[in-house]
Amino acid sequence: MRLDAVSVQVLWNRLVAIVDEAAQGLIRTAYTPSVKEYHDFCCAVFDARADMLAHSTVTTAGFLGIVPEVMRNFLKVFPAETLQPGDVIITNDPWAASGHLIDISVASPIFHRDKLVGFTLCIVHHLDMGGRMSTLESKDMYEEGLKIPIMKLYEAGKLNEAIFAFIRANIRVPEKVLGDLRAQLVANNVCTRGLTAMLAETGLEDLGELGAEITARSERSLRAKIAKLPKGTWRSETLLPPLPVTGEQILIKVALTIADDQVTIDFAGTSGEVRAAVNCTLNMTRSYSAYPIKLALDPDVPNNDGCMRAITILAPEGTAVNSRPPASTWGRTMISHLLPEVIYGALEQVLPEAVLGGNGGCPANEMYLHGRWRDGRSFLAISQHSGGFGGSVRQDGWPTLCFPNNTANIPMEVTEREAPIVYRRKEFVTDSAGPGQFRGGLGQEVEFEVLNADLAGGYVESSVRLNGRSEGGSFPIGGRAGGGAGRGGGLWVNGQPAEHGIYRRLHAGDRLRFTLGGGGGYGDPFARDPAAVLADVREGKVSVAAALRDYGVVVTGGALDLAATRRARGG
Amino acid sequence: MSAGPRLGIDIGGTFTDFVLVEEGSVLAAKVLTTPHAPEEAVFRGIAALEAERPGFAAEAAGVIHATTLVTNAILTRRGARTGLIATAGFRDVIEMRREVRYDLFDMFIRYPAPLVPRELRLGVRERVLADGSVLEPLQEGDVREAARRFREANVDAVAVCLLHAYANPAHERRIAEILREELPDAELSLSHEVHPEPKEYERSSTTVVDAYVKRLTATYLDRLQHGLRQRGYARPLFMMLSNGGTATADIAKRFPVQIVESGPAAGVEAAIYFGGRLGLSSLLAFDMGGTTAKLCLVEEGRAARTRHFEVDRVHRFKAGSGMPVAVPVYDLLEIGAGGGSIARVDDLGLIRVGPESAGSDPAPACYGLGGVAPTVTDADLALGYLNPDFFLGGDMKLDRARAEAAIAARVAEPAGLDTARAAAGIHAIVNETMAAAGRVYVADKGKSPAALALVVTGGAGPVHAVGLARRLGCRRVVVPPLAGVMSSLGLLAAPIAFERSRPVNRRLAGLDVAAVAQELEALAAEAVALLPPDATPEVRRSADLRYHGQDHALEIPIGGALDATLPEQLAAGFVAAYEALYGKVDDDNPIEIAALRVEARQPQPPPALPAPRAGKPGAPVTTRPAWQHDAARFEETPVYRRETLALHQEIVGPAIVEERESTTVIGPGDILRVHDSGALIIDLATPDREG
Repeated sequence: MRLDAVSVQVLWNRLVAIVDEAAQGLIRTAYTPSVKEYHDFCCAVFDARADMLAHSTVTTAGFLGIVPEVMRNFLKVFPAETLQPGDVIITNDPWAASGHLIDISVASPIFHRDKLVGFTLCIVHHLDMGGRMSTLESKDMYEEGLKIPIMKLYEAGKLNEAIFAFIRANIRVPEKVLGDLRAQLVANNVCTRGLTAMLAETGLEDLGELGAEITARSERSLRAKIAKLPKGTWRSETLLPPLPVTGEQILIKVALTIADDQVTIDFAGTSGEVRAAVNCTLNMTRSYSAYPIKLALDPDVPNNDGCMRAITILAPEGTAVNSRPPASTWGRTMISHLLPEVIYGALEQVLPEAVLGGNGGCPANEMYLHGRWRDGRSFLAISQHSGGFGGSVRQDGWPTLCFPNNTANIPMEVTEREAPIVYRRKEFVTDSAGPGQFRGGLGQEVEFEVLNADLAGGYVESSVRLNGRSEGGSFPIGGRAGGGAGRGGGLWVNGQPAEHGIYRRLHAGDRLRFTLGGGGGYGDPFARDPAAVLADVREGKVSVAAALRDYGVVVTGGALDLAATRRARGG
Repeated sequence: MSAGPRLGIDIGGTFTDFVLVEEGSVLAAKVLTTPHAPEEAVFRGIAALEAERPGFAAEAAGVIHATTLVTNAILTRRGARTGLIATAGFRDVIEMRREVRYDLFDMFIRYPAPLVPRELRLGVRERVLADGSVLEPLQEGDVREAARRFREANVDAVAVCLLHAYANPAHERRIAEILREELPDAELSLSHEVHPEPKEYERSSTTVVDAYVKRLTATYLDRLQHGLRQRGYARPLFMMLSNGGTATADIAKRFPVQIVESGPAAGVEAAIYFGGRLGLSSLLAFDMGGTTAKLCLVEEGRAARTRHFEVDRVHRFKAGSGMPVAVPVYDLLEIGAGGGSIARVDDLGLIRVGPESAGSDPAPACYGLGGVAPTVTDADLALGYLNPDFFLGGDMKLDRARAEAAIAARVAEPAGLDTARAAAGIHAIVNETMAAAGRVYVADKGKSPAALALVVTGGAGPVHAVGLARRLGCRRVVVPPLAGVMSSLGLLAAPIAFERSRPVNRRLAGLDVAAVAQELEALAAEAVALLPPDATPEVRRSADLRYHGQDHALEIPIGGALDATLPEQLAAGFVAAYEALYGKVDDDNPIEIAALRVEARQPQPPPALPAPRAGKPGAPVTTRPAWQHDAARFEETPVYRRETLALHQEIVGPAIVEERESTTVIGPGDILRVHDSGALIIDLATPDREG
């Protein structure tokens, strides 16, 4: 088959379809809601050079910079020429792979007509890898669970049972985790079958030419966009609020340089590693640094290795954005999720239409519940709830929408089947959205209560991690282009303010409540269409008082008072 | 169904199609759809058929109906003013959605507006737990207060979706009782009836959609049933469901969400039926009517199905960009491309076609009904593919001058082209639009178009099928007899089938086979009872199996004996199916039965289609200038009448074959053969020429 512009496009679509099918295989054979509902995973296909050609449409931004590196790291230990059909390579090394122990990467070589033509990789955020799990208290990696070095889980089709045995012996819910691990094998099997079928149908010998075309076109596309931008360096920095437990404060500094057709993001000056478990590995920093650039400049090209080549990430070793082993990394999203926001601070100065208001739920919320039933069985449930999306130059932010990661909520009806809790509330928070010509999306309030159940010890271990953006606004959810900040949130246990990011024991009847902020607004709130403000008031999204205070819009008896609005807006 | 004539009625956006099947004969009719009152077109068509076959309505053994009414009502937001009652504290579930972005890279991502605005979403205090136990009783005062607010807001329909109502529906039932007292005129949809499964967002969304279209669907079906009775038809009206099954109109009125994809399912049924007649193991069903085109992959006589259907997607191809409707539907691709699709020139000077359609009002310019915008049908007429004096067999005269004037004014002049080239552009662009979407759809299913025959239905289908097949990479096109009204025939060919299932959670190890046998028997009795009383059904039993701990299950047929060997039979079937789908993964978790299923189906007598006559090949009835894409000019092209073609006759293109309800166009070098079944089988000349 001859490759021309049309056939490259068709086969490229086909590769995306193949990894999407792999993701469906993963979801269908998975055992836990964290895969089936939460979708914190990535399936990808590579050519024989280990260049990533496509990843699943359903995935989260955290994997963008990670996936290509994992495959390269695997091949450093097991060179491509030594691999044989039926090999499966595994690791959860945070530095070689995806930044914390709870993610397991599993890859296989793909052979077609006895020739190595590519690789398939599946990474899943698992439910349990032993250790202290969802707490910022872990001081090093060893507290955080079991580490699986880069090893072969299967060698030429033969299972290395020792690996399963070690995992089984070290975690709380082995049937579920090993079930999900097998689902990763399914994903890779489906990907392998799809790719070899494609090669057989098209008569292509391998992916060499196609892979080179895809990555080169993608690289050219982004470089052409960058070439049109103004040149220069723009800087931004953010001082994070004191971390739970240790009180450490991290400063993130970024210098964004646009030169010719290359973007460089340099984190020089960023704080060093911390004791709290929030340290980022370089791969994780890559993901969330490249993401806002791709989003702003070249969102339509399906992501692949070529998309990363025009972006250089510099992060001094030993900083919180390029930590060294054995730093503790569980809650690395506390830092990595903020990177797009810090980069937007620089980007806004040169491309104000390419940035979003802050996301009220960023860094992402994480909610863990675990314990044991009196009969000895363990339960473990995780969940995530999102804050409001930021306003943009075109539209209001959506309510409760995940950013910059992209994981779905786990239905309450599913979580309530996994753990002995009952949700009491999950509802929008009025006036939480940052005002703007395009306001932010609304944040939410979530409350659950522990049920009177047959629990060993009579308690549930619960950790809820928030983002440190309090209602008082000490770490605001910033607006852009003149828009206002979203209202932050907080955590309360039985009505008392409580620290987030650590475990506490909750007993029957205890209530845990938390709020997630609204998104930052975009543009001058006084430029907002009064009719849009009225619609918000009618829906109870904005109060009458806030309509006047934030937007200069007077609503009386459910109707607009246009004359009074004009006066309030000073015109 | 007992003997007697059977009528299939399929209402599309532009035409309403009819097929009347009776021992040894098939009659067809096609009339313009009447969107303001769709039943009017139905009665008009029945009158036309009565003229040819007097008294058929009174003698009819069955009327089966498909319609796009429900989807259109949602797309155009013409449903009821709908309120939602939720568990207090959870009224925002339908607007929160799943809190995830369906497109990771779109910073300007959009979602459809919820069908119920926030001020009409009210909470009532109550709480049921996952195991069905009641944690907090229903506060009936809250329900009456909600009813009062709905009354003030002139709400016509109420959706009720409480947490875990699938596990214990008592509170939803009590709310329904109170609402019937307080709001006797409002339509009600209860989540435990509409979609009794966990996951609150998907269940709420489905229930809200059901409530939103209930009044509209019921009123329409009442008018239709009344009119049918007046015309002498006394038996029940059957509806095609979104998954190709059939049910009585009363079930469709109770759960209108079940017919959301009824129209498209009919076309798929037709292709399945015809694929079976021709022994095609895999095919691509292609239906192109006035407003939309649909593609659906059919393998081994079964179309792909999905339970992840969404209505009102912001982006047609992006899952997650619409509102979930968790009912089983055929997994088909719908494209805004039909005979009525409107052509225009955009700001960049490029020709665009669709997705806006002229529908039946104002209709294509050439219909002379007041339409002035050029459409695909106008282009097909201007290119000489359609015969202005033989559209619907000459019942509807087409006005070529109007078509050309519309193309000249709205496309040719702004684009700086002559009228013929503009028309050729419209024709080619609509084909490419369908092909581009089709390529993604077929690739998404892991198939190669080259291995798929395109089986064509719909009035505009045969005009565009060869051009589409060429762009898509299909090598063979099948045009069944009566292709223009074939989806109505699909309604009649589809077996009347009901499935009954029961969730169970039982390990295969130590399975109580006698209990399983008993449950299957009970399910079979329930399913058979839904068939007409004189049915002689086929019963199919199966079990959904999975590894303990998984959600998703594989359906494994139960073919062998219901004895002690059943667990082994099922385990063997499951392990083999699992490995075929997912490869070998050494799972050692116990296998369990998630659900038992029984389907009872009443096969329908195969419609006797007009057989091609034997004997000498039919000669062209005339020639006319028709546009040839390669040569980029009009060339004299032979025109055949389909009814004059002889069995096994072979025609080498270019050629045009006219019949009453549609026109088949083939290009230079394409070879058309008349098959025993009456189908035209076209083998394309070369795979990569465009047309």
